[in-house]
Amino acid sequence: MTGLLLVKLRRDLQASWPRFALMVIALAVSLVVFGGMLCGWSSIGRETSSGYMRTIPASATIVLDQGIDAERLAAIASAALTRPGVIAATARAQFASQAESDGSRAVPLQIFVAAPNDPMRMVKFDLGQEGHWPPAADEIFLRRDSLSMLGAAVGEVVTIRLPNGDRARLRVAGTVYDPSLAPSPQEQRGYGYLSTAALARPGQPVLLDQLKIQIADAGQMTATRDRSRAVAVAGEVGEWMGQQYGLTIREVQVPKPYAHPHQWQADVLLLSLLGGATAALLLSTILVANMLSNLFTQQIPQIGILKAIGARSVRIRRFYFAMTLLIAGAATVLALGPAIVLGQNGLQALLGMLGIVPVSLTPPWWAVAIILVVGLLLPPLMALPPLLKASRTTVRAAIDHRGLTAPASAATGVLARLSRIRGLNRGMLMAFRNIARRPARFWLAVGLLASAGAVFVAGMSLMSGTRAIGELQKAQRYWDVDVQLTAPAAEADVIRSVTDLPGVHRVEAWRREPVGIAELGRLPVTRTYPDQGHGSVAINTQSATSATPTILEGRWLNARETGSVVLNQATRDNAVPDLRAGDQVQLFINGKAATWRIAGIVEERGHGAGGVYATAEGLTAALGQGPLVNQIRIVTADHDEPARNKVAEAASKALTQTGFSVASAASISRSEEISAGHLGPVVLVLLGVALPLAVVGGIGLASVMTANILDRMREFGIMHAIGARPETVRWIVVAEGVFLAITSCLIAILPALVLTAILGAGLGSLFTNAPLPYRVSGIGAGIWIVFVILIAALATEAAANRASRITVREALNYL
Amino acid sequence: MKAVIQVRDVVKTYPLGGSEITAIDQLSLSIDQGEFVAIVGRSGSGKTTLLNLLAGIDRPTSGTVHAAGANLGSLSESDLAAWRGRHVGLVFQFFQLLPTLTVAENVMLPMDFAGKIPADQRHSRAKHLLDRVGIGDQADKLPMMLSGGQQQRAAIARALANDPPLLLADEPTGNLDSTTANAVLTLFADLNREGRTIVVVSHERDIRSIVGREIVLADGRIVAADRVAIGASA
Repeated sequence: MTGLLLVKLRRDLQASWPRFALMVIALAVSLVVFGGMLCGWSSIGRETSSGYMRTIPASATIVLDQGIDAERLAAIASAALTRPGVIAATARAQFASQAESDGSRAVPLQIFVAAPNDPMRMVKFDLGQEGHWPPAADEIFLRRDSLSMLGAAVGEVVTIRLPNGDRARLRVAGTVYDPSLAPSPQEQRGYGYLSTAALARPGQPVLLDQLKIQIADAGQMTATRDRSRAVAVAGEVGEWMGQQYGLTIREVQVPKPYAHPHQWQADVLLLSLLGGATAALLLSTILVANMLSNLFTQQIPQIGILKAIGARSVRIRRFYFAMTLLIAGAATVLALGPAIVLGQNGLQALLGMLGIVPVSLTPPWWAVAIILVVGLLLPPLMALPPLLKASRTTVRAAIDHRGLTAPASAATGVLARLSRIRGLNRGMLMAFRNIARRPARFWLAVGLLASAGAVFVAGMSLMSGTRAIGELQKAQRYWDVDVQLTAPAAEADVIRSVTDLPGVHRVEAWRREPVGIAELGRLPVTRTYPDQGHGSVAINTQSATSATPTILEGRWLNARETGSVVLNQATRDNAVPDLRAGDQVQLFINGKAATWRIAGIVEERGHGAGGVYATAEGLTAALGQGPLVNQIRIVTADHDEPARNKVAEAASKALTQTGFSVASAASISRSEEISAGHLGPVVLVLLGVALPLAVVGGIGLASVMTANILDRMREFGIMHAIGARPETVRWIVVAEGVFLAITSCLIAILPALVLTAILGAGLGSLFTNAPLPYRVSGIGAGIWIVFVILIAALATEAAANRASRITVREALNYL
Repeated sequence: MKAVIQVRDVVKTYPLGGSEITAIDQLSLSIDQGEFVAIVGRSGSGKTTLLNLLAGIDRPTSGTVHAAGANLGSLSESDLAAWRGRHVGLVFQFFQLLPTLTVAENVMLPMDFAGKIPADQRHSRAKHLLDRVGIGDQADKLPMMLSGGQQQRAAIARALANDPPLLLADEPTGNLDSTTANAVLTLFADLNREGRTIVVVSHERDIRSIVGREIVLADGRIVAADRVAIGASA
């Protein structure tokens, strides 16, 4: 390119700097979001995996039906090292408890137990500078994020319930960083770490019930990535334990290797955001290409001059390519830093939600390279067609160019007939017709705004859907207090203990037991994670007054039916994916294996725990016991939180005094908080994508209106020449912008409804195991309509101002 | 004298609705080197179309156009642009100056495209040409700061940038007052005396007094082609 063409390039950019600034902003905004999501997504797998793997997690956990002496299980662990494929083994236990601190209400606590001499070479946790393993017999370590939940601090004393029902006062000796578990606030559950010394009681052996093993591929010394290999080896070890030591295996837990329990959700969340950001980037690039096309059109007379004085098409092509590259380069330079920062902040926030402290927030080099390449090359690529077209403009075409010369579209023909409507303001008529004169521009502006609107309304609708889950669950949860006993007890005795307590309106009791589930002839294998929440399975005798969940296959249980169970979809999909309603299934409950028929499959929303349902009579018959219960639901007279807490405390006391061992007693509000914690990220997905789309849409509208004004310079000059006041011209331009905005809202209706349905099904299944309830947010639609009309008014302000001030002389001299 | 322009049996038609308009109808013309020719006629007679054909802006529907050593029909659009830069100076009503380049830069731009004038001479040549057309003191101004007449003179200077043998001008005085118009026509006469072939489309009554030949068009045909003694009506 000649030196003078470089001078022309610089001055052309200076002369139309607002327009170029808009292009750079549109590109930069969408590139920041795209780059940020890319940086986050490219790093999340690395950090979650490395964080999780730093704990040297077990490939499998073999859970005994009954705990055995800690030393005996330690010896079995040593012997397990001789089994093929086992490269590490350790004996552990864990139990659910409650913790209280200084009179504060009891908080659920999951406690992990290891022997004092456990070498901590696998299933590790980081004690940092504060402590070392083992804690003393009167000490406990707590996970860092559990402290605030418990209202405790290091050095303070907390009271916990032990498995035998005793209460133990333990000093918080230090905090633990354990990235293998979901965050405490999300699960509304704390995590504690004890040595077996804390459980020791005179004359009573300390029992452990978990053998954790690491499994490698044949000939390898690192943990296998192949879950089927882990299942096979763990199954063999389980059978060996049964045959060699006469032990009953309740369950073999094999989570997905090398994957944090929430990793797939983080991956999908970021991938969805990345998909949305990519769409926003593509749209903004199309917008910029259109704006450049308008610019090229405006420069047709100059292209004619250049060709008249000797410039070949290739020179003109290079000139405008350089212009496009400059815009792309400016946007990329502006966007790169913020994109990386956004990615790092997003990554840190997401890892915080997962309870993982990142080692490095730096995105991989290839993510940065992609941002640079996309930022520099995508806009010129999109602008190539109008650029080539402009460069091929002949001198003839330049002479004939008179601005808006496109043939009338079919729409203008229809709109022409509007003049037959009497009383219709001719200015409004002009506005209607003007927006249809350039169909491509019309659809670009409307399309951008409609996309943003559809995404925004879908996001707000999903928010309504997530709230609806809470409302549905609230409606289904007709009770106020949940009580869990550590051991099953006679139903009548349990109910009698609490029925007459002040504030109690009604009491129901039922039974819930951890259960292993497997196809016939196989050991029960689940995908349960170390926290025993994600992937665990339990059998429940459903209360007679509970609402029946939605049936997906088969049927619900008949009254007093025996020999049949109903599974929820999460349990079937995770544990026995090949089974259907009508098939037989093996359940391992309290050391006993029994065959049941699957009566049906139901839909349930939950965040990890699976469900199996039987009648009380069915479970009683299977276990050969009388009607026992270990779960109590209390409907209180008053439903406020203080009343619930009071009843929970009273029920716990009354049951304990009666001789029952209480594992936990709490208001149902805790369950509601767990749901909200998991569903929060769902909405982030869409609202995070809607914002850049809205910005791009606004810029698109501004650009289209500006281009429309420039196309019609002579027209506005004529209008002024024949007596139109500036306010009239201004009003017509603003009306055009508002019509475009309203049209975009109408066009967005169907995509918003469809998007809500698709995303509600997808994201709902991802985070809650079932599609979200379909809700359309009227408030969201209202907010968007107001917002987009405001955007339209702002976006057309500059164009309307310009049009109203065009003089006749200016219009005639327009080059 | 060697013919600089040879037009043979050229027809130029344009589609209009469902039919065709014939702008040039079987026109043949020859212009020798060093001639100063005026093309005159009423509106719609085909004057501008003929000039566009000579400049390679339009292509004939049939017939051939040879100008400044090239058969224009055999050149691509890109080649036509390059040919124009080296061999033709265009002074058209619609081809004003590029708004974001100064007057001097506008004059130097064709030199950059053609590469005929050495780079270190371009600025001084542009200054000289602007002095020649009487606006040397406006060299570093942007076109919007010049009057219509000054812009036209700058366009003429630009047309002379690569010292073309052929100058084509379409209504070069159309937007000018009579004094400025006379000055521009006098300039053309001077350039013709230097040996340049000049073809001008004009409505000016006084054009006969400075041109050597006047070609009258009507309905796309030559109806008269009078040789005029230069200075005959002075």
